[in-house]
Parts: sequence; C-alpha cells; structure tokens
Amino acid sequence: MNWTLFSPELFFLVAAMVFLVVSMTGRPDPERDYLTAVVLAAIGLGICLACVPLRGDLFQGAYRVDLFSQTFKALLAMGFFLIVCVCNDLAGIAEDHHPEFYLLLTVSTLALMLLVSCVHLLPLYVALELSSYSLYVLVYLRVDLRQGIRAGLTYFLIGAAASAVMIFGLALLYGAAQSAYLADLMTVLPGLLHQPMVAIGLLLTLAGFFFKLAVFPFHFWAPDVYQGAAHQAAATIATVSKVAAIAVLMRLTALTGGAGTFLTDALVALAIVSMTVGNLTAIVQQDFKRLMAYSSIAQAGYVLIGILSMTPAGYGGAIFYALALLVMKFTCFLVLIVAAGGGRNMAIADLAGLHRRSPILALALMMAVFSLAGIPPTIGFTGKFLVFKAAIAQGHVNLVLIAMVNVVISLYFYLLVVRAAYLTEPQDALPPLAVPPLTRGLAFFLVALTVLAGLYPTPLIVWADAAARGLM
Amino acid sequence: MAPIAYARFPFLSLLLLCCIGGLLAILFTPAARTRQIKWISAVFSGLSLVLSAGLFIAYDQSAGGLQFVEKVAWVPSLGIHWFNAADGFNLPMLLLTGIVFFTGVLTMWELETRVKEFFALIFLLVAGVFGLFMSLDLFFIFVWYDVSLFPMYLLIAVWGSTRKEYGAMKLTLYLLAGSALILPAILYLAVQAGLDTFDITALMQPGTFTPYQEKFAFLLLYLGFGILAGVWPFHTWSPVGHVAAPTGVSMIHAGVLMKIGAFGILRVGIFLCPTGWQHWAPLMALLATVGIVYGALVGLRQTDLKYVIGYSSVSHMGIVGLGLATVTAEGLNGAVFQMFAHGVMTALFFSAVGYIYDRTHTKAVAELGGLSRSMPRAASFFIVAALTGIGVPCLASFWAELMVFIAAFKVYPFYGTLAVGALVISALFILRVVQQTCYGPVNQRLAHLPDITPLGSIPRVILVSVIVFFGFFPALMVNLIQTATVAFFNGLP
Repeated sequence: MNWTLFSPELFFLVAAMVFLVVSMTGRPDPERDYLTAVVLAAIGLGICLACVPLRGDLFQGAYRVDLFSQTFKALLAMGFFLIVCVCNDLAGIAEDHHPEFYLLLTVSTLALMLLVSCVHLLPLYVALELSSYSLYVLVYLRVDLRQGIRAGLTYFLIGAAASAVMIFGLALLYGAAQSAYLADLMTVLPGLLHQPMVAIGLLLTLAGFFFKLAVFPFHFWAPDVYQGAAHQAAATIATVSKVAAIAVLMRLTALTGGAGTFLTDALVALAIVSMTVGNLTAIVQQDFKRLMAYSSIAQAGYVLIGILSMTPAGYGGAIFYALALLVMKFTCFLVLIVAAGGGRNMAIADLAGLHRRSPILALALMMAVFSLAGIPPTIGFTGKFLVFKAAIAQGHVNLVLIAMVNVVISLYFYLLVVRAAYLTEPQDALPPLAVPPLTRGLAFFLVALTVLAGLYPTPLIVWADAAARGLM
Repeated sequence: MAPIAYARFPFLSLLLLCCIGGLLAILFTPAARTRQIKWISAVFSGLSLVLSAGLFIAYDQSAGGLQFVEKVAWVPSLGIHWFNAADGFNLPMLLLTGIVFFTGVLTMWELETRVKEFFALIFLLVAGVFGLFMSLDLFFIFVWYDVSLFPMYLLIAVWGSTRKEYGAMKLTLYLLAGSALILPAILYLAVQAGLDTFDITALMQPGTFTPYQEKFAFLLLYLGFGILAGVWPFHTWSPVGHVAAPTGVSMIHAGVLMKIGAFGILRVGIFLCPTGWQHWAPLMALLATVGIVYGALVGLRQTDLKYVIGYSSVSHMGIVGLGLATVTAEGLNGAVFQMFAHGVMTALFFSAVGYIYDRTHTKAVAELGGLSRSMPRAASFFIVAALTGIGVPCLASFWAELMVFIAAFKVYPFYGTLAVGALVISALFILRVVQQTCYGPVNQRLAHLPDITPLGSIPRVILVSVIVFFGFFPALMVNLIQTATVAFFNGLP
C-alpha cells in the first residue's frame, strides 16, 4: 500500500493529535494555540496542494485518490487554513476550550477529506458521521451557553434525523444493487432507476447531504445554527462542510449515468424552492449571520443547478462554484468577525460607518456580497455563468430564468448590506477598526481572488473541468 | 463581411486601460489629496477622449468592416474571446463616451465629499461602458454591462439628492432585472448554435439559428436591454434615477448608459437574431411610439427641471427605438446618430441644470426665473441644450431625428405622424420651461448667485461645439454609420 496517497489525511490526523495533547496540558494560552494552528494549517494546505497530482486506490478499492478528490481536499485545506487565520479573535469560545476547538475543527476537516475520497457506501457514512459529530460539538462550544445549546441541539436533532434517513437510503441502494462499491452501483443503477426502491433509496441517500448543504426541506437548522454558533464555527459550517457536501452530491448523482430521469426533476424542484425560499426569507433578516444562513440556502439552490445537469460541464461548474462559495462566504465571515468584535452577534445595521472604520473590510464585504449576488466580474458570477450554461445546454431554460429572477431578488438584500456599510453612519462616532496584519492581508487576497477569478477564470475552469471528467 | 483587419497596436484595449489605469491611480492616491485625484481623473479621462476621437478619425471608411481588431482566446474551453473591434456602429458610441466622460469629470470638479470613492466609481463605470461598446464577445458584453451598472447604486445613493436611496435602489433593481433576461438569452443562443463560441461574428452567420430560436431570444434581449434603454413601460427607473443622481452621474447615465441599452439591442439582438427582429419590429415600434408620446405628455406636467429632462430622455430614446423598429438602413443610421446626438445633448442639459441646482438649491421651474440675466452663461448652455432637444436645424439632433422620421413614415406612417406630433408637444413644453426659467422677472433671492466661471464653462463649451459641429457636418457621422449598416444589410439572407 502506498502511504503517500494518504498523506493529507495522515497529516491532519497528526495535527488533531497535537491539539489533543495540547488540550490535556490544562494551561489556557490562546496565543500559543493560535500560532500552532496557523502553522499546522499552512503546512496542511501545502501538503494538500502538493498531493493534487496523486492517483490511486486504497483499502481494497473503497477509497479513491484522483484529481476530483484531491481538488476538494485542497479546497477543504484552504478553507481550514482561512478559518484558522481568523481565530486570533476567538472570543466566542472560552479560553480553556481553545485547544478542543482546534481539535474538533481539525477532526471535522479530516473527516470531510475522507468523505470526498470514499467510493464505498459504508466508509462514506462513517466519514459523514465523524464530521457531523465534531461539528455538533463545535456549535455547543459557544461561550454563551444559552445560544450554544439551543443551536447545538437544533443542529444535532435535525442532523441525526437526516442521518437516519440517509442510512435507510443506503440500505435500500445496497439491497437493490447487491454491492456497496460506487463503481458497481454506477454500472447497475442506471438500469434499475425505474424501480421505486432504487428511486427512494437514492433520494434518501442524497437527503443526508442536502442537510449538510442546507437545501430545502432540510434547511431549517441553518439560521439558528449560524446565529447560535461561534463565528468561526459558523464559518466552518458555511464553507468547509458545504464544499464537501457538494463533492459527495456530485459523486452520488453521477451514479445515475446522467440520464434525464425523475432525479433531475426532483433536483429541479428542490433547486427552485431552495433559491426562492432562501432569497425571499433573507429579505427580512436583521441579523448578519441569519442573513448569511438564508443566503446560503439560496446558494445551495444555484449549486444544485450545476449538479442536476449531470454533465461534465455542469459538474465542472459546480466544482468552480464550490470554490466561489468558499471565497465569498468566508470573506463575509471575516468581515463579521472583525467588525462585530468580541465574538458578539452583529445586526446588519451595526455595519454602519464601516467604509470609514476600515475601507478594506468594507470593500471586501461589498465584493463578497456582489459576488454572492452574481454580479460580474467576480468569482460568483463566473460560477453562476458556468452552472447556468450547463443547465441551458440540458434544456433547462426556464430553470435558469427563474434562477435569474432570484438573482434580482437577492440583489435587494445584498444591496442593503452594501448600504449599511457605505451609506449609513453610526449614531456615536466609532473609532477605526483595528485590523490585524494577517487579516488585512487576507482581505486583500480575497478581494483580488474574487475579481481575478471573475476576469480571468481560465486556469480554474480548466482545473475544475479536468476534475469533473473523472466523475463520469 | 469585409476581411478582418487585425490591429497592429491594441488601441481599443489601450482605451480600456485608460480607465483601469485611472482607477488604479486613484485607488493608490491617499483620500485626503483631493486635488491630485481630480487631476488624475481629468488626465486619464482626457486621454480616453483623445484616443476615442483618434479612433473615430483614423477609421478607414472606404475599407469599412471591423477595424482595430484584437482577438485573443480567453477561456478556450468555453469559446470566450477577448475580442474587440471598431465599426461604424460603435465608433460614434466610443466617441460619445469619451466626450461625456471627460466633460462629466470636469463638471464634478467642485465635489468635496468622498472624492476618491466618487472618481474611482466613475472610472469603473466608464470602463464598463467602453468595454461594452467595443466588445464583440457575448460573455464580455454581459460582464461589461453589469460592470457599468453596479457602481450606479453607490454613485446615486451616496452623492445624490431627492429621494436618493429610493432612486438608487429602484434603478439598480430594474437594470439588474434586465440583465436577468439577457444572460439566459445569451447562454441560450450560445448553446443552441452549437459552435462552442461566444464570438458575435461567428454566431451572426445566416442559418445559425432557427426562426423560433431567434424570436425567443430576441424578445428576451429586447426586453432586457430595453429596460436600460428606457423603453416604455420599463422606463420608470429613469426619471427617478436621473433626478436623484449627482450632476456628473446624470450626465454619464442619461448620456451614455441608456445608450448601452439601445446599443445592446442592436449589437446582440439585431445582429444575432435578424429574423426575430423583423418579427418583433411592430411591437418595438408600438412601444417606442408610446414612449415618445408618453414622455412628451408627462414632461408637459413636470414642475421639476430634472424631471423635465428625464421625461424628455424617455421621449428621445423612443426615437432611437422607433429607428431600430423600422428594419431599414435609414432607420438604423438615424437611430445610431440619435443615440450620439441625444447623448451629447442630454449631457449638456444635465450639466447646465446641475449647475443651476447646485447654486440655487431648487429645481422647481416656478422658483427660477430671469436666469438669462442672473446667470447668463448657465442659461445660454441650458437654452442650447433645449434647442437641440427640440430638434432645431443645424444642431446634431435635427439630422438624427429627421432620418428616423423619414424612415418611420415609410414603414409606419401612423406611428410616424404620432411621433412628430409628440415632438411638437415636447418642443412646446421645453420652450415653456426655457421661458419660465431663463426669461421673465429675475427671482431676487437668486440674483446674487455667481455665474459659471470661464474655467467651469470648458466642459459645457466642448459639448456645445460637438453639437454644433455635427449639426453642420452630419455627413461625417452618417457616412461612418452607413459603412456598418450597409455591410450589415448585405450580410442578411
């Protein structure tokens, strides 16, 4: 067995062990934990990027290392690194729990990495549960226990229900296909799709990941969890875990061979409802994180548009969109963490005067929300362009028209965010925000990436397409 | 089509670079050094004016076709190209943008609040406008379309007046609703052609689309771009937005941005879907005529100076739409010329009114009076703009409107009559406004206010000279546009 294929996972396992040891020392030292985490995350990102060209199978063919999985591992490591970078102000978590926070963060990232490589139903489920359980606890860790417990319980109960539904679906699939290897399913399933057992099994299996991605009707947890969790934990749920969910949804839908089946219709319906519900509900939100939650429900709808095309172009678009989501949403959370300060929740109105208090953060926020709305030239527009094009190539013109109507609706509340940051002034003059150098650098980097990937996305598109071809 | 003449030097990209370079230069200047920022803006916008005028002159009319062509593969897997070229349709628009950009920047010379952000946004906006006019790739046309729109929100909401946040939000949502129709149409066409390209010259070959596809896509494109062109009944954002916007932004917005809409109908809709164009032409003519008449009638009732101009814009953009709807070479010539003439005229209008408003703090027609004595220079610019708007001979608009009406009379005699009738009404209301504001007793409260300084007159003088120049030498413009229309009609099946 070639252990280099497994090196990203091994490294994150080691990193988790480091935090396990640190957590047992019993001396809280946020500075030490932060620096350790940043260094480890940077090394982890480097390893994942270096491992992108690797190819191979592990564990009797249950675990595949290919461009698709390695791309997503790089994305996950990037998300992990970004989130760790903004943990310098980890006021949402009690100081003596910081090592545990990093431990759980690392374990959940590790689990998500395993998830994107699994090509056997059983390890797929185990990896999903591992990531979910670490995230449940992450949500609980909020220093304000009342909020944390409420959010954690919501997340856990809905998550457990989704996971129960999913394992039932897995059992049905296994029963129908007599194999749990995705490679076998791929050859058998297209011929069996007309059977109710297979159809139901597939939908129930997907439900587990719809929960992660917050697709309607599995979205109810999102606003409460985002609001109740510490900012960094919410950012993890909003970015890293969604990226992995997108990956697995692609793997699972690819099993059907991409034919225009009932599954397409079901996904079209879910995409439309998710976009519409998310965007319409977002309009009335006052709290920034709740707004992000509803916006991410809508974004899940856009991602589904790419996935439901079930063509290499659609999957390529969805991979690109995963990167876009990571960048855009993380930028919003970065601004939130600095602007709110002290780990407190923030109303949208509290952004008042941001353009004076920190021009770079205001700019980053504006670019991020325009990108979320899909205004060119931003990474979010390129993502939408790719998935819409793939959908139209499959004849879904009406779906794209509905999606564009949603874009206009969403623009209204995104503009309200811009308005709060650029037009309104706080009642008492607030001092300029102290933005740490690393955060400032990150903000510059994210703005540049958002714009550059909107203007010249070619290398990323080529990469995403190459990764998507491995799926079909 | 004439053979493609690749540029030896990427002049068109250089024109864009003027805007992007100016934008970056402004961004890297400290916000406190407002004087320096204004000079940077003036220099870079001046450069872009010189370049666009140079291209206008250097275009070889005898050769015709696409010139100064730059084509580089951008996203090969999707068939997206960095494809810019100049022809008889977009050269007038580029020149117009250069003129309005430069004069708009000069008009805003006295701005004091948040100077850096203002000029940075203006440069971003104009980069989008230049990009859209010169691009021949559907992907980039869409990108530039949105780039030119979203700075408007902040430009109006921060620096505007009179219900500015409402106006800004309404304008942005309306125009983005337009783009919600354009993007699906563009993708639909690109996918249906099956050529794996977004290159307009490749997609416009006859036989690429079925008549049904053309009709469907053209309707989406017409409505989508039409919202920006102020097509009735989607015009309601326009007077509100114009009134709320600060002077320089109103100039660019009414002068250039609305032209993007009409130009988009021409470049994307008519070029790619000529059958769809012919199919929907009666609808276009109807909406355009209603717009002309409606704009004139509603303008008659306005008491706010900026609303008067706003509704006259709706009316005048209706003339562009009527020209496009005739499906004739004369109509297209007139429409493109009218886009240019109206752009310069309305820029002058807003520039004069903006000055008056900044001093008197009122735009109510009734409160002004005797301006020709208290502010003779401001009043004279205002009067020239008004006369151009009415269509007085020897001013640019006259020829443009004449060409459109001649074409319209041939194709739609009834609509043509209505439109001319409406123009008489609009002449009436504009003259009434001129009479009430510039003549009559001087309002003593406003008598002491300073007139435009000689230096401040420069942008307005430029605009007046352009109007008069093309009023006396319309052939310079018409012959140029003709090279494109003739080639286009010859290319049709």
